[in-house]
Amino acid sequence: MQVSFYLLSDTPAEDQARQNELSTTPAHFTLACQLCADLYRAKQRVFVYTASQQQAEAFDELLWQFDAERFVPHNLSGEGPKYGAPVEISWQAPRQNRQVLINLATEIPAFANRFSQIIEFVPAAEQLKAQARERFKQYRQLGVNPQTVNAN
Amino acid sequence: MRKQVANAFAPGGALAAHIAGFNAREAQLEMAQAVAGAIETPAALVVEAGTGTGKTYAYLVPALLSGKKVVLSTGTKNLQEQLYFRDLPKVVKALASPLQLALLKGRSNYLCLFRLEQHYNHVPMQDDQLIQDLSLIKKWSAETQSGDIGELSYISEDSKALPYVTSTTDNCLGKDCPVYEDCHLLKARKKAQAADLVVVNHHLFFADLALKDTGFGELLPQMDVIIFDEAHQLPDIASDYFGENVSSRLLLDLCRDIDVACKTELRDHPQLAKTADKVAQLIKDWRLQFGNDATKGNWREAYQKPEMQTALNRVSEAIDMLYLVMKSSLGRSDLIDNAFERLALCKARLLKLTDMQQNGVSLWYETTRLHVSLHLTPLSIADKFRDIVAADNRSWVFTSATLSVNNGFSHYTAQMGLNNAKTLLLESPFNYTEQALLCVPRYMSEPHEQGMARQLLQIAVRLIEANNGRCFFLFTSHRMLQMVAKQLPDLIRQPVLVQGSTGKRLLLDQFVKLDNAVLLGTGSFWEGVDVRGDTLSCVIIDKLPFASPDEPLLQARSEDCTMRGLDPFAQVQLPQAVITLKQGVGRLIRDVTDRGVMVICDNRLVTKPYGEVFLTSLPPMRRTRSLDEAVNFLQQMKQDH
Repeated sequence: MQVSFYLLSDTPAEDQARQNELSTTPAHFTLACQLCADLYRAKQRVFVYTASQQQAEAFDELLWQFDAERFVPHNLSGEGPKYGAPVEISWQAPRQNRQVLINLATEIPAFANRFSQIIEFVPAAEQLKAQARERFKQYRQLGVNPQTVNAN
Repeated sequence: MRKQVANAFAPGGALAAHIAGFNAREAQLEMAQAVAGAIETPAALVVEAGTGTGKTYAYLVPALLSGKKVVLSTGTKNLQEQLYFRDLPKVVKALASPLQLALLKGRSNYLCLFRLEQHYNHVPMQDDQLIQDLSLIKKWSAETQSGDIGELSYISEDSKALPYVTSTTDNCLGKDCPVYEDCHLLKARKKAQAADLVVVNHHLFFADLALKDTGFGELLPQMDVIIFDEAHQLPDIASDYFGENVSSRLLLDLCRDIDVACKTELRDHPQLAKTADKVAQLIKDWRLQFGNDATKGNWREAYQKPEMQTALNRVSEAIDMLYLVMKSSLGRSDLIDNAFERLALCKARLLKLTDMQQNGVSLWYETTRLHVSLHLTPLSIADKFRDIVAADNRSWVFTSATLSVNNGFSHYTAQMGLNNAKTLLLESPFNYTEQALLCVPRYMSEPHEQGMARQLLQIAVRLIEANNGRCFFLFTSHRMLQMVAKQLPDLIRQPVLVQGSTGKRLLLDQFVKLDNAVLLGTGSFWEGVDVRGDTLSCVIIDKLPFASPDEPLLQARSEDCTMRGLDPFAQVQLPQAVITLKQGVGRLIRDVTDRGVMVICDNRLVTKPYGEVFLTSLPPMRRTRSLDEAVNFLQQMKQDH
């Protein structure tokens, strides 16, 4: 199992304020969209795990509004073709096996060991950052040595 | 000419001086210059001009300034009239153009004096409406200059009288007609031949090109410039005309005419009437070999059935017999002589349509309750059309708001054999991101699953309430349309108009007048509908508009694609659905101030890889998957007014 933590740097307060005005989408969601687009083009099947249905729908919305030239076919759990689209977004355990897990929840899901590649984020916001550190520790306890990637 | 074109469009130029509210747009001038270039060279040009570019003026100005002979072809009679009576006079006046103009429609649009006289004197059946219409037409016939049926605004578009007062290539007596000199069709054609600019429609153009209507093939050879508007319709129309067909209706009409002739002019020839009766009976027997319902299917497959072959062989033999009997009676009756020519034609076509060994064509049949027709469609028209375009140094312009797929023209140019044509893609001046919202609701069933109708109704009810009607609900199948049409009226307060309940034009008039109606329709409402403003501000689509796989034309093209080792889905079905969806979006936003919501209840747009082709081909509307967002957008629109 290969785990990567993407580190997001602090965004200037101004930027953050503007972003909040436009939407409530956190920066690591946007990064997750780009990763989905890359992974889809690399023919990887991706499972995006979220903390709640609301969060899943927010990510679905973001992916749908993503650059049409870098379109990502995806579905939420509860819709879509029988074996799912190339990217599936869910707040529940996956229905089939996929290669890549993108974890947007604050905890490591119990089914994480079913994936060969896991993508995690370390958001800039303090609380989220602390929770990411916790997950990083847990992976180590599971005997995995996560690599860190500077997202910027 | 480029300079003249630039001057015409310039601020304070001819157009701005004479046409109220005219504002030159950069894209419009760019197109006008490209058209001028194609006319001067001469060359072929393909232009997609997004809704609102002002493409009509962009081709009319160079066409009129060129001083060359121009054919202008558009999609329908209504568009022809719009062009000829509304747009063209404005530009002609602005440019002070001295050119001779003409409007030419298909044969069935002109009064046939001979047939009117015939049927006015001997009313074909006792029907009060028919008799009333006939006498109205009789009265009009004394006043009309053009003989154009379109002038009869006080008679229903589908009046039973019309077929009795117009001619077909089959029943036209041509030079033998006693009132040949006064023929309205002939006059219209002569006027068109003498004119500098003729407005026609695609059906007429291709009928002329394919020499399907004799005596008219003279139009094209004299023309220097051919401009097609609504050019996205050409591949389908051209395929039709480069094909062949024969129908039981045609043959039975023929038998009936022989019967009439035998009762009047050839009373001494009972054998002829008997032989014709026999043909008619065998044709009816043959029709019974097909199922009762109206359907379409593969003729090669249906022909495999021995009973089918037997039934059709009997028809052929009887036709051969009739042919011999008629041959020996020629020269005694105009009706019989004319019927003989038609019979010879049918005989030849029938032979072609039973030749199962031929390649490069699709053979299919279509049945209605009483009739069957056989069709031959060429798999590809590219070669044929390429030769036509290459011949005789003419200029060809193909334009429409919807020609490109994924920002490219290869789909269109390959289909039409226009590989050497110049192409130009001009984006709409509309701000789609602000003006339109595209919503694909979440958690819908897959399109083929049960329960779709119930989900569609739930979604529709929310949108209709939020927008107070003013909504088109477009379906890809009649079955779903019927299911929704049955239940929707009980769920909403707004009036529901259903396609088929009355004519299309009337239905649209009602829709506009009511201002809070919901219109349920299929295919034909995707195109050629221009409802501006808030009256139409929400379009709901049940499914991505892929053509049904048993559609014969689609089958023909898919076959052709497979033979060339290409993927028929990517090459044929997908581009065609993209063009249709672009047309649908075109209905929603008609003006810079229009706003609206497009809801597509088919999550394949999100979940399938081909969603990318749709999204990159559609105008850049803001996207959402939340129905709440769509409802908010509509409510916000209402508040802004």
